Amino acid sequence: MSAYIVSILTEGAIFGIMALGLNVIWGWSGDFDLAYYGYIAIGAYMTLVLTIGPAVAPAHYILGLQLPYPLAVVIAVLSAMAVGLVVGLIALRHLRGIYFSIVTLGAVYVMYVLAGQYVPLFDGYNGLSGLFDPMGDWFGLDYLSYQWFLMGLCLVMFALVLLFMWRLSGSRFGMALRTLREDERAAAAFGRDIYRLKLKGYVLGAGVGGFAGALFAAYLSAFNPSAWSPVEIIVLYAAVLVGGRGNIWGVVLGVFIMGLVVQESTRFLPEVPGHPQIVLALRGVIIGLVLVLFLRFRPQGLLPERRYVDPEPKLEPATRTA
Amino acid sequence: MNTQPKTAGKPPALEVRGLTKHFGGVYAVEGCSFEAPMGQVTGLIGPNGAGKSTAIDLISGFKLPDSGTVLFKGRALEGLPPHVISRLGLIRTFQAPREWPGLTVLENVVMANWDSGREGFLRGLVGLGSAQRGRAADELVKAREILDEFGLTKLRNERAGNLSGGQKRLVEFARIRMAQPQLVILDEPMGGVNPVLGERMALAIEAFIASGTSVIVVEHNLPFIERVTQHVIVMAQGTVIAEGPFETLRSNRDVIDAYLGEMVKQ
Repeated sequence: MSAYIVSILTEGAIFGIMALGLNVIWGWSGDFDLAYYGYIAIGAYMTLVLTIGPAVAPAHYILGLQLPYPLAVVIAVLSAMAVGLVVGLIALRHLRGIYFSIVTLGAVYVMYVLAGQYVPLFDGYNGLSGLFDPMGDWFGLDYLSYQWFLMGLCLVMFALVLLFMWRLSGSRFGMALRTLREDERAAAAFGRDIYRLKLKGYVLGAGVGGFAGALFAAYLSAFNPSAWSPVEIIVLYAAVLVGGRGNIWGVVLGVFIMGLVVQESTRFLPEVPGHPQIVLALRGVIIGLVLVLFLRFRPQGLLPERRYVDPEPKLEPATRTA
Repeated sequence: MNTQPKTAGKPPALEVRGLTKHFGGVYAVEGCSFEAPMGQVTGLIGPNGAGKSTAIDLISGFKLPDSGTVLFKGRALEGLPPHVISRLGLIRTFQAPREWPGLTVLENVVMANWDSGREGFLRGLVGLGSAQRGRAADELVKAREILDEFGLTKLRNERAGNLSGGQKRLVEFARIRMAQPQLVILDEPMGGVNPVLGERMALAIEAFIASGTSVIVVEHNLPFIERVTQHVIVMAQGTVIAEGPFETLRSNRDVIDAYLGEMVKQ
């Protein structure tokens, strides 16, 4: 049971970081980005090729270094940001709404097909494996205590990302991103460089996604095309939507709820003999149902984005009646 | 055109020369030239399709002209993106009010002030220095004063998207007050506004002038134009056909044919 709780909390923290990154792009800046899972994957792949050492035939992959895990994470995040910058430079220049989404969908499928089919990059469909207990040796941890260590690490990182987002959310930078979401022509008329500002938000989001991917790689110790599919993004969108788009506390709540839905909704279903996939399919149906119901009945989410409330001015009683 | 406004040696706030833009075979603006004097309210009128809105888009950088020059404080604007023009001190409004609907009225006014020192990503992360915190506090005080001036204090925590059309116009004016540009171009500010509010807007335009903001106002409401402007430019078919004080235009046959005549016929 404790092993189960450890894995749930570790996954939840990683999932939470993913959702907080997506919240910058969709929640604040307002762009329905479908390439986001690609940045998570780049973070995971890059972490692996930077830590697991050279490829042994018949495996093929780039780099094959044995860097310390924290350094690999930094490079993985920068790689995700670099790819995010390229995609953003193209997709954010003129495209908005559904056109932006289609271009980012194209981008993520290019990444997916490249990673899955072009063997010399990340060993194609076999993917990468062999990142066992990064940093575990430093502290002399055995397998069981390492699971606790990784959970703690992920939770601390989640708390740090949350703190980071909390600072940004109320800042002038966060507000400027929201003016783009609300009406970008007005934002330009009042001095905001739309393209640059949107790119900043997009690359920041991609970096946070890459960071989540780097932690994910440590948790899974491996990564391959069956570990990620671009449609996984729907669960992340569901979490942000259910919790409250734009509100970081809402996003945390949404991650908790969707985690519960994904993990628990199908737990007590009996297995149907001969149809092993049916539980997985039902899970998809439930996620879709939750999405549709929220879009219809509570599109602002459970915790809507909070606005600054200006306190009542302290007036003399005489002036108040005037 | 030899009816240039007398600006008594002052450079004009805005000088437009030979501005041209066509969409396919249609010339929306063709050889449009005019000057808007500093410290005055200039009206820009003309029938629908005269090219007024396109001219504003070209001046403010939202569309690129095919040819022609736009000089603002003696500086060429053509080819500059909208945010750069805005930062130079020329702000425009739009035909439909473009508030930030999900932000509150107060936030709409505060965010009208672009502050490069506070809007960076790193500033957001590490926090503001004491000078910047001071600016932020001053900004909030100023925004509250402006909201009070426009009678919007009670609505300051309301999301701007929930306001009525007239209230949104007031928020737009409040944003201009906050940004304090040297020139503002108001695109049909009277659209959907009742007469009482109209008078308030006329007073607000006078307040713009008093605070050092020159004004160009595009409007179909001619009594309003007569009320607020010192100088009027008449456009038809993409070019300027007449200009001068409003009274002198009443008797101008070209103007009557192009614009007033059309109104009378309706």
